[in-house]
Amino acid sequence: MTRYTQEEQALIWLCACNELEPHERAVLLRAAGDPETLFERFEFFYEKAFSGPAESDLSSRKRNLEALLAEMEEKGYFAVTVLSRDYPESLKAAFPPLVLFGAGKRELLKEDIFCVVGSRITPPWAARFGTEIAAALSKRFAVVTGLAEGGDLAAVHGALPAGKLISVLPCGLDECYPAAHASVKEEIGRVGLLLSEYPFGEKTRKYSFHARNRILAGLCKGVLVLSAGEKSGALITANTALEYGRDVFAVPYNPSVAQGVGCNELLKRGAYVCTCVQDIFDCYGILPQTEREVTLSGAEEKVYNILHAEGELHTAVLAERAGMPVYEAAATLSALELKGLVVKSGGNRYGCVK
Amino acid sequence: MIAKIICYALAGLDGIPVEVETDVNKGVPSYDMVGLPDTAVKESKERVRSALKNSGLLFPMNRITINFAPADLKKEGAAFDLAIAVSLLKASEQLIGADVADTVFLGELALNGDLRPVSGLLPILISAKGHGFTRFIVPAANAKEARFLGGAEIYPAENLLAVVKHLLGFEPIEPLETAEFAVCKRQNSSADLKYVKGQPIARRAIEIAVAGGHNLLMVGPPGTGKTMLARCLPTIMPDLSFEEALEITKIHSVAGILGEEGIVTERPFRTPHHTATTVSMCGGGNRVVHPGEISLAHGGVLFLDELPEYKRSTLEALRQPLEDGKITVSRAGGTFTYPSRFMLCASMNPCPCGNYGSANLVCTCTPAEIRRYRKKISGPLLDRIDLQVEVDNISYDDLTSGEQREDSKTVKERVDMARKIQRNRFSEYALNTNAEMGERELDLFCTLGEESETILRRAFERMKLSARARARIIKVARTIADLDGCEEIGPKHVFEAVSYRLEDKF
Repeated sequence: MTRYTQEEQALIWLCACNELEPHERAVLLRAAGDPETLFERFEFFYEKAFSGPAESDLSSRKRNLEALLAEMEEKGYFAVTVLSRDYPESLKAAFPPLVLFGAGKRELLKEDIFCVVGSRITPPWAARFGTEIAAALSKRFAVVTGLAEGGDLAAVHGALPAGKLISVLPCGLDECYPAAHASVKEEIGRVGLLLSEYPFGEKTRKYSFHARNRILAGLCKGVLVLSAGEKSGALITANTALEYGRDVFAVPYNPSVAQGVGCNELLKRGAYVCTCVQDIFDCYGILPQTEREVTLSGAEEKVYNILHAEGELHTAVLAERAGMPVYEAAATLSALELKGLVVKSGGNRYGCVK
Repeated sequence: MIAKIICYALAGLDGIPVEVETDVNKGVPSYDMVGLPDTAVKESKERVRSALKNSGLLFPMNRITINFAPADLKKEGAAFDLAIAVSLLKASEQLIGADVADTVFLGELALNGDLRPVSGLLPILISAKGHGFTRFIVPAANAKEARFLGGAEIYPAENLLAVVKHLLGFEPIEPLETAEFAVCKRQNSSADLKYVKGQPIARRAIEIAVAGGHNLLMVGPPGTGKTMLARCLPTIMPDLSFEEALEITKIHSVAGILGEEGIVTERPFRTPHHTATTVSMCGGGNRVVHPGEISLAHGGVLFLDELPEYKRSTLEALRQPLEDGKITVSRAGGTFTYPSRFMLCASMNPCPCGNYGSANLVCTCTPAEIRRYRKKISGPLLDRIDLQVEVDNISYDDLTSGEQREDSKTVKERVDMARKIQRNRFSEYALNTNAEMGERELDLFCTLGEESETILRRAFERMKLSARARARIIKVARTIADLDGCEEIGPKHVFEAVSYRLEDKF
């Protein structure tokens, strides 16, 4: 059983109060001086701060706290408070959450953390790139991201198999947004780490994404933006990270691609270009590792080279360039796809990913 | 005097013999029918009375009782009119000397005594021949349909008087000559693959689909020629054999949609609108169960345009017939089984706005919208569609070499070759195409080399396929190998088969 000190317990109680807004908690805490005093004399400080009576008394507070701790124990949740020894130092640069509720592998907090984000509409090639880069990153970092579709999910798929994934939720741990990703969330809770600053039962609100992004930026050493339109949550994370003095990496895009406007804008403002995982590793002095080579047949080599030169091509055009029947090109492409070198982009087009 | 005349009723695709017994007694004139006749049969009273009068024959002013045996079978339709009239004449001693035993009488009467055609004649004739009847009198308007039944004397009659004269030997009717079955040379369809512009991938896919009898889904933005491609399917399908034609004709005859020729000479191409109900799709009805669209498409193509627009329940109902090739419909009136081995061809847009994956147009749908749209097609249904191909709007300028446009005839020759290989392979099994293979046949005819097996396993893990999808991929690979003329399924065949499965992840 996780042991919490009296002071920690008081903090956990404060942060698990759904009725209080984050700024109200801060005001109360400042008034009381320390969490234990606030816990003991909550009504007094509440009345003083908001000039209205609070509906709570010490005995019911204690009961609530005990019930809360028992519930957390039962569900396998834990709380990391600002007073805990493993509270991430880097997070204190951000407007630090008093308590982070978590589920899963708590030890991931001690690792070097790298953040991978992307907007919900991420092109298939970028998603595949994100998955691969997150997989490669997970050898040296714990990867932190959200839980939305698109870029976030790509990073999840990449880093989760190695168990080095932290997902920060914009809602209570027992909620899931988007609901369709409940099974993914479950999986992360088992092999990775789920974090949230929100009390249980707290639903997602419009501003909670913004608040969550500051935690992403605060936890990590650097951020990679897989895709970001002109206005995107991924950009908020990147900008916050800049504020905290983190490194920002972005995937370059064609000028006209709407999903890449934000990425290109970041690059213009001096973000690092990231086209392979070594670009990130270089920044932190990590030496390249030799990769296992895949062997290609003659036809595969030919098709791959053409696609590699063009980036993205229609199967029929590709077949014409390679001088083979379309169905043969299609077969070769699906062979390359299984080898992880190309990816279907929709509309019978294929994109090169390596 | 009692007269017994044989007539036939239909139950599904089977004819059931019905004896029409008539007794004319002395007494107060009356006219009763017993033996579960439905309204249409009861109304025949008036038709028969007028037809007799207007043919210059006598309607007996006696106490008449007509019984239909077996008494527990519900008799429906107007096909009994002729049998009732003849039995009345026989019972009232107006047909003395005529031999009416072992003759089956079929036909509806007009008030002036003319014979009107009945639906479902061919299945009745086939059943009756199986029961040992070889002499039939049928309406002249049904002659075209009837003449395909060999080994029987079939007399087409214009009206009741002609029947009477024939029976009494005054003016014998010439029996029908058995017609030779000839395949339609399809002048009536203007579709041809040579008019399809571009779409090399989809062309290949429909070739494979037809060669192996596989189901096909075409996904693509509006206006890229999905419907056009689908309309070309019948033009490259193998010609009907007489047995197939007969089986299809039976269904179409029961449904009453048989054309002028009297036999189906072209593979059916059914395109039910997406407002179709489950009953219209699968078959059904109050008491008589009519064949649905899937049975009418038996031996041909069922084309579902805009697949997600169909009602979910209607689509799900297709799952079991897609596997079994037949459908059993149960109603209060009985349980009927109709064959429904059709090739499913469906088309849909990739997303609500239609532009997902388009080269030059922007898709404005959110991921959730696209997911919702595609969710309308359930996984199990998608599993049963072997070939899923994207139809795109690639422009001509991208293809410089000027594409080779094959016409349907050339493609059909290749399909015929592949079908021939399959016929030889399945000569000892009750199968026609690769798509119909079960587990046992998969084991026998689709052994994969080690390399192919590895490929399939990797594809499996990557695409998260079901066991059924795996079997379907192997079947498609078998067909591709057949088109290639290869005995063994090679890696390239497996790769190509895998390329025709869209991942339904976004």
